[in-house]
Amino acid sequence: MKRIIEHPVLGRLEEAREVHIRVDGETIPAREGEMIAAALLANGKSVFRYTNKRHEARGIYCGIGRCTDCVMIVNGVPNVRTCVTPVEEGMVIETQQGIGHWGQEGEDGTD
Amino acid sequence: MDQKEKQNNDKDRLICRCEEITLGEIEQAIAEGCTTLNEVKRRTRAGMGLCQSRTCSKLIARIIAEKTGKPLSEVMPVTSRPPARPVKMDVFRSGDCDEKDN
Repeated sequence: MKRIIEHPVLGRLEEAREVHIRVDGETIPAREGEMIAAALLANGKSVFRYTNKRHEARGIYCGIGRCTDCVMIVNGVPNVRTCVTPVEEGMVIETQQGIGHWGQEGEDGTD
Repeated sequence: MDQKEKQNNDKDRLICRCEEITLGEIEQAIAEGCTTLNEVKRRTRAGMGLCQSRTCSKLIARIIAEKTGKPLSEVMPVTSRPPARPVKMDVFRSGDCDEKDN
């Protein structure tokens, strides 16, 4: 688990309730309220998707919801920006290939 | 690394990350007569991806300005239209804006 516990500006990491998300079938722990990208990085996962043309690995880039490099399939919805989407208990997350596809996973496949 | 190899690498550098358009493709479009962001966009698809040119528009504007000698003020702005941030079509249909979808 890789996290900054003592931050020079933000101070000490506060306690948070643990939730669990499923990433490509694997259950990983996350801090309630943190962004999906943060949970993935903390669990050593840095490849979030593969690009459409060159099939290159992509992960976090801008980290503020502008560049769309970190998009994944979240609860069956493709192209979700993981750096600005908070984790929820039981969230189902998949590595996205290219422009992604709509899935049926999660509680609301029509979202 | 010799000069030729370096030039080749530069040409292969991604400018538009969403549509995976390289510096070489942008320069090719300019060489073929594109002189504005919109023209480069229509020729190459640069800026038509998911982020809608948030990342690459300023880069491409600079490249056009350098290659054509036009001032940046004439190259910019691109015809960006609302919404200023990505929203789902569902929002327009229902008029319901979910706060968590920022």
